[in-house]
Amino acid sequence: MVHLLKIEWLKIKNYSAFIVISLFFMLGIAASNYIVYSVKKNVIDKADPTGFLSSSNPYDFDSVWQTTSYVGGWLLLLPGLLLIMLVTNEFSFRTHRQNIIDGWSREQFINVKIVMAILIAFAATLMVIFTALVFGFASGTSFSVSHFESVGFFFLKALSYNMIALLIAVLVRKTGFAIGLFFVYLWFENFVSTMLEVLSYKLKEWYKFDAGNMGDYLPMNASDGLLHIPRTSIGDMAKNAARMPTDYMYISLVFAIVYLVLFFYWSKNRMLSTDL
Amino acid sequence: MSILEVKNLHKTYGKIQALKGVSFSVPKGAVFGILGPNGSGKTTLLGIITDILKATQGSYTLFDEIPTEKCRSQIGSFLETPNFYHYLSAVKNLEIAAAIKQRGADDIERVLQIVNLTQRKDSKFSTYSLGMKQRLAIASCLLGNPEVLILDEPTNGLDPVGIAEIRELIKKLQQEGKTIIMASHMLDEVEKVCSHMAILKKGELIVNGKVDEILAHEDVVEIGAEDPEQLQQAIAVLQGYNSFKNEGSLVQLFYPVGTAKLAVINQHFFSRGVVLTHLLMKKKSLESKFFELTN
Repeated sequence: MVHLLKIEWLKIKNYSAFIVISLFFMLGIAASNYIVYSVKKNVIDKADPTGFLSSSNPYDFDSVWQTTSYVGGWLLLLPGLLLIMLVTNEFSFRTHRQNIIDGWSREQFINVKIVMAILIAFAATLMVIFTALVFGFASGTSFSVSHFESVGFFFLKALSYNMIALLIAVLVRKTGFAIGLFFVYLWFENFVSTMLEVLSYKLKEWYKFDAGNMGDYLPMNASDGLLHIPRTSIGDMAKNAARMPTDYMYISLVFAIVYLVLFFYWSKNRMLSTDL
Repeated sequence: MSILEVKNLHKTYGKIQALKGVSFSVPKGAVFGILGPNGSGKTTLLGIITDILKATQGSYTLFDEIPTEKCRSQIGSFLETPNFYHYLSAVKNLEIAAAIKQRGADDIERVLQIVNLTQRKDSKFSTYSLGMKQRLAIASCLLGNPEVLILDEPTNGLDPVGIAEIRELIKKLQQEGKTIIMASHMLDEVEKVCSHMAILKKGELIVNGKVDEILAHEDVVEIGAEDPEQLQQAIAVLQGYNSFKNEGSLVQLFYPVGTAKLAVINQHFFSRGVVLTHLLMKKKSLESKFFELTN
């Protein structure tokens, strides 16, 4: 696999879109967190000196893990986009054929892409950890790893985005079409998710049936649902209102993992069985 | 040992049957031409052998083994189009190809020299002309000096000088004992460089064997003289040929295989006062054979 990854590195190291998107993503994580940090400090805290809305600083340890993961999660479209480009490039240059003609197996071809999806998700997670450390220490609070699991959820979310990007790229093959479908799918899933969320409210309210927020059991929203803004007093009040469906995080977690496995086998099967 | 053995290959695309039970084998050291009109299944056949297409039915072996990616890495192949990363230079593209083949990383300068791309080796692939792209594809096949090459329309897009160079290259590779499997619709190309050939027509193999044997069903002797009337009279009393055909100012005589003797023919005409200005033993041209077989 190391040999395959070295070849993959030869392919991308001079690819300008790779460099640009990576830089955008890394700067984006730092910058978006800084924006949230500034808004909290300069706007919310000034407007709400009693701390009714938010009693603690979201960039204190241990909240910082949750906050950076949550904020960073909004930027995960970028690595997904990058992955779509890296994979559809192979199809449009027909180098997917040449790689196999030259001596890769189809399995090696798709495996190295899957490992790339994992590595890109891992690199994004490292960036989040780094950002969290910087903001955490800057806040002057003492280091803590409590709530570090949020970073794990961030990794899961990043991986989910990357794997669905990979699947779409392998299914669609055309760059523009794949990127379009990626966005349309995310929009569509969010739409369905909102519908399901409303349904979950109604079920609980009318039939006392509480299966949690079913909107969080869809492919992208499952890992999304694991990431939350740190608890605030106003948030707690909303949660305690009886109409909110219970937050079954472990169900979301199971769904997220099941979807990942599904995407894994689907893209692999596609690559192994069709004409290239 | 056969380099490639194809057994009863079938391939269907929806309703279209691209290959209908093709079987043949390629001996070591052969230059094997796969010939056929557009859409006859040549590229489909090579696609199956290189595992980018899945056969609907049938099997094949490479080096008498069940084919694996290891076998493919021992073969220099290109199919249909030159496939490279547009944003990378020739050298960087060849580095990737060499890394995948796991051989030939120190061979890049040499193969670029062979196809005359040394001067443009650091230019991006996207800036190349069609002919240069084709040359780069051939260079990539030559990486690590493989014993077997699979070339799909190797002279596609090349200028006349380029075509001649590739022909020379193929002949040279054959002299070195390499096996070359080549698809082409350029008849004279196959006639000039191939030792064996197979002709495909609508997915069916209609002929397969040594080029000499396929073409030599008849000896063809072409003659010409100053006075065509005298020539015709002398032909009328000539013995041994099956038929003759007027080809402009020349006449083609068709003999059973191996019976045409140029000296005897020359003697015959000279003794009847006809001095031949043209006397040539011809193989039946592949072009006429091709039309005969595919129509």
